[in-house]
Amino acid sequence: MATERIKSEITGTVWKILLAEGDAIQVESELMILESMKMEIPVESTVSGRIQTILVAPGDAVDEDQDLAIIELD
Amino acid sequence: MKAAVLREQNKPMEIEEVQISKPGPREVLVRPIAAGVCHSDLHFLDGSYPYMLPTILGHESAGVVEEVGKDVTYVKKGDHVITCLSAFCGHCNKCLTGHLSLCQSPEVSRAPEVESRLSIGGETVHQFLNLSSFAELMLIHEHALVKVREDMPMDRAALIGCSTTTGVGAVFHTAGVEPGSIVAVIGCGGVGLAAINGAAIAGASMVIAVDMVDSKLELAKAVGATHTINARSGNAVGEVLELTKGGCDYTFEAIGLKATAEQAFQMLCSGGTATIIGMIPVGTMVELHGVDFLMEKKIQGSNMGSNRFRIDMPRFVDFYLSGKLHLDQMISKHIKLADVNTALHALKSGEEARHVIMFDQ
Repeated sequence: MATERIKSEITGTVWKILLAEGDAIQVESELMILESMKMEIPVESTVSGRIQTILVAPGDAVDEDQDLAIIELD
Repeated sequence: MKAAVLREQNKPMEIEEVQISKPGPREVLVRPIAAGVCHSDLHFLDGSYPYMLPTILGHESAGVVEEVGKDVTYVKKGDHVITCLSAFCGHCNKCLTGHLSLCQSPEVSRAPEVESRLSIGGETVHQFLNLSSFAELMLIHEHALVKVREDMPMDRAALIGCSTTTGVGAVFHTAGVEPGSIVAVIGCGGVGLAAINGAAIAGASMVIAVDMVDSKLELAKAVGATHTINARSGNAVGEVLELTKGGCDYTFEAIGLKATAEQAFQMLCSGGTATIIGMIPVGTMVELHGVDFLMEKKIQGSNMGSNRFRIDMPRFVDFYLSGKLHLDQMISKHIKLADVNTALHALKSGEEARHVIMFDQ
């Protein structure tokens, strides 16, 4: 099964995870919310598929380009 | 209460009825009197900076305290305040080392499992930068506001809430401009004009304003620019290097573009410092000539003027009231909340300084 990794575009903190492992997800669907410099920044999926693994938890600090989740492609 | 709600990027905001929660222990309910419409709001409206939707934009305001939470002692009902997005926790490493504007602590916002401060019929409305000032009421953390003297006009005070603090703060705090320095500021919107005014207050010997709109360059002269360059000539860097006979000690980029950030670095003399204030879109890379580092040229970012706003903002109020800080010229129009979309459109055109929303009393 082909997979795609969803990455963070920005350094910040995971504020809220909106979906769970196993959930279906569409392109541009919001997966989680990061907080960075007081901004609530949505992380959107770049692909459609099913969430295989979420690699972070609320409160985790994340770096720019860090993997946040793995999506199994449709 | 009524507020301008953004539900989709690049679409007009709609005035909607929004529910606002009661103040938590350390929260303050503020009735804004005036709210500036800032170019940064445009970055979130057009999606160059992503943000959770729906939201209520606006982050530059002044108003009156309406109600305080049970643990708030700093302000009371009736106090005049300026709000600030640089809400600080007061005990993290950044706060305790004096860098309050870099505080990243989430405790100044409500936790995800708690009722949101703003909602519409049970739907969460994401508070913008912990403020959301395009609204008749604001519910904010007590560390997101500062008391100010009551003889300060509220529309001018609102500008201090973001553009003034960002521009003047970049000059005073981030860069530390010394008297006699040669300064150039690229971009003469609200923040750039504030940086020009700040450089003049700091005693810069030459303050060069760079923009592509003549009316803004005229404004720049009125707030302290000694020289102006219209960048439509296509050679702003060359003109600055010629005018200064070798470059600037300090440059400030107040637009948020890759090209102008690079130009700010190219305008420096050896040992000079470029400060990037503008919000460069997420994902954009800036390229510099590596050899320039041998000349000890420096480049740095500035967030909200590296402020300590509870100290800075009352000083800026005093600067205005004593005639040093020129805020009157910064306001091009007073508008109603319902006209906020028009104000943002005018900002996009680049022709006008700033519209300020005045709320009905």
